[in-house]
Amino acid sequence: MPRFARLILAALLALAASSTVRADELLKARVGVLRLSSSAPVFIAQDKGYFRAAGLDIELKFFDAAQPIAVATASGDIDFGITAFTAGLYNLAGKGTLKVIGGMSREKAGYPLIGYFASNNAYAAGLRTPKDLAGKRIAVTQVGSSFHYSLGLLADKYGLKLSDMKVLPLQSLSNVAAALKGETVDAALLPASTARKLIDDGGAKLLGWVGDETPWQLGAVFASPKTLTDKPLVTKLLAALARADREYHDVILAAVADGKAPINEVTKPLLEIIAKYTNLPVEQVVGNCAYIDPDGKLDVKNVANQVEWLQEQGFVDKGFTADTIIAGEYVKPD
Amino acid sequence: MKPSGKFSMLERPKTGDRTDETRPVAFRGAGFAPKAGRYSGWIALVLAIGLWQLAGSAGWVNPLFLPAPSAIAVAIYRLAISGALWQHLSYSIMRIGTGWILGTVAGVIVGFGIGLSSLTRGVGITFISALFPIPKIALLPLLILWLGIGEQPKIATIALGVFFSTAISVYSGVDAVPRNLIRMAQSFNVPFHAIVRRVIWPGALPSILAGFRITASVALLLVVSAEMIGAEYGIGAFVLQAGNLMQTDQLLAGVVILSLFGLAVGRVINWLETRLLHWR
Repeated sequence: MPRFARLILAALLALAASSTVRADELLKARVGVLRLSSSAPVFIAQDKGYFRAAGLDIELKFFDAAQPIAVATASGDIDFGITAFTAGLYNLAGKGTLKVIGGMSREKAGYPLIGYFASNNAYAAGLRTPKDLAGKRIAVTQVGSSFHYSLGLLADKYGLKLSDMKVLPLQSLSNVAAALKGETVDAALLPASTARKLIDDGGAKLLGWVGDETPWQLGAVFASPKTLTDKPLVTKLLAALARADREYHDVILAAVADGKAPINEVTKPLLEIIAKYTNLPVEQVVGNCAYIDPDGKLDVKNVANQVEWLQEQGFVDKGFTADTIIAGEYVKPD
Repeated sequence: MKPSGKFSMLERPKTGDRTDETRPVAFRGAGFAPKAGRYSGWIALVLAIGLWQLAGSAGWVNPLFLPAPSAIAVAIYRLAISGALWQHLSYSIMRIGTGWILGTVAGVIVGFGIGLSSLTRGVGITFISALFPIPKIALLPLLILWLGIGEQPKIATIALGVFFSTAISVYSGVDAVPRNLIRMAQSFNVPFHAIVRRVIWPGALPSILAGFRITASVALLLVVSAEMIGAEYGIGAFVLQAGNLMQTDQLLAGVVILSLFGLAVGRVINWLETRLLHWR
């Protein structure tokens, strides 16, 4: 018995020693993400050990909205943030509290993310395509959100006036879905994940996907200026993410057809990782695969357009340009 | 057993020890009557704001995390000269006013019902206890389904919040009216409606007005959640938008306006109390 106890003690000591050595070698960082498939490469890199292989000890911090990730990055509670661009994020970046270091999810033709949806009554009254949205009452979550900007892009594409549309901010996705189902708005912009149940229950009609109409750079990787001074850390993180981006692109995105990824022996391991981190069944993950550039490139031109549009609308403070919020030494421009 | 010549604490001295001499005692009745000084509150407020401004100007805090009072003042000024402030205020006042009046009228009626009738009491208290703790924000999607996204759900959110607090303070007020006053009125054969009007109503009024003080603040709190529902204008909508856009100076400007509004309402209720409760 004492010998056995000694053995256990020795094993524990050895384990403790080895883990302290390993923790010394690894660079520690906290990464803030949403439990959405648009962060798929982060989950893959974490689950398959790509971060660890690059010499990083990454702790994932999960958030429930895009804005708090930007705020937490600015305040230093997390080192890196990965989420969608919002007016709030640009306002923080404009004050120099964070910078964009790489691209993440994109709206791209064939990959459904955000959609335009019509209420049943409006659909019956002739609202059939995104082009018909002129002059309608359209619900979005918040002013200056991805949904609002998508609507602005659509207006630009068809020469419609955004001021003709009545944009109603309802603050949360559930409120938007309720308004659409309750016929109190004509249309709404919703992510595919929220809209699925509504469409399946016959509560609304799909008009089209933003990616098919107006592709744009939806999400990005960003960091605070303090993190940016740690060059080895940033370089290693981006390299590990690029490795996962490539794998996600080649295995899953390349197989997507009709907006859905097939479930087979090749795609299943990755789909299961995404399902695990997003708390969704694999069957729901396949229809909601965000496009991500295989090299982690950022559509710099579109980011500049976003900043200008939001400044024009008065949602982002004037007095800075996209160049000043993009960390040129890290970003691979598209 | 007992040591002779001495008395235990519990025993009264029978004779002797007590003297009939009076002994001067200092007045002990002071205190326990706090009075708000005329200036102390304002001086403390000015000092706090001064310190805050100093922290901002000296660069001790990041202006993003805590904008200086001067930045907030500038934001309010810009809002005022652009005319948007009055638009926001008028929408919010309309919603708060309508919601508060509806909730209060319903609350007073139900509160008196609970205070005066056994049947209403049983049913009413059960329902109030069951429904009061429901967070109104959790019901927003349902309110949108039932009432749409116009003015009705916004007013309903405020009215609901005001209703429960009013009903509770009114029936507690009615319960607290001394029964002997009511019995006396009954013994003089005063009719029921006159007892309610002449005895119960004035007797319950202090606690009803105290309830108003709370519900006025509740209405101000709820205007922010009410204006989550597709509001274009309103102080609550303005605060929400500033928060969404991370414009912290404007966010705090909205908060300052809300709290000034709260101060003004407090003043009105003070005035009501002095007018209606002059008999106290």
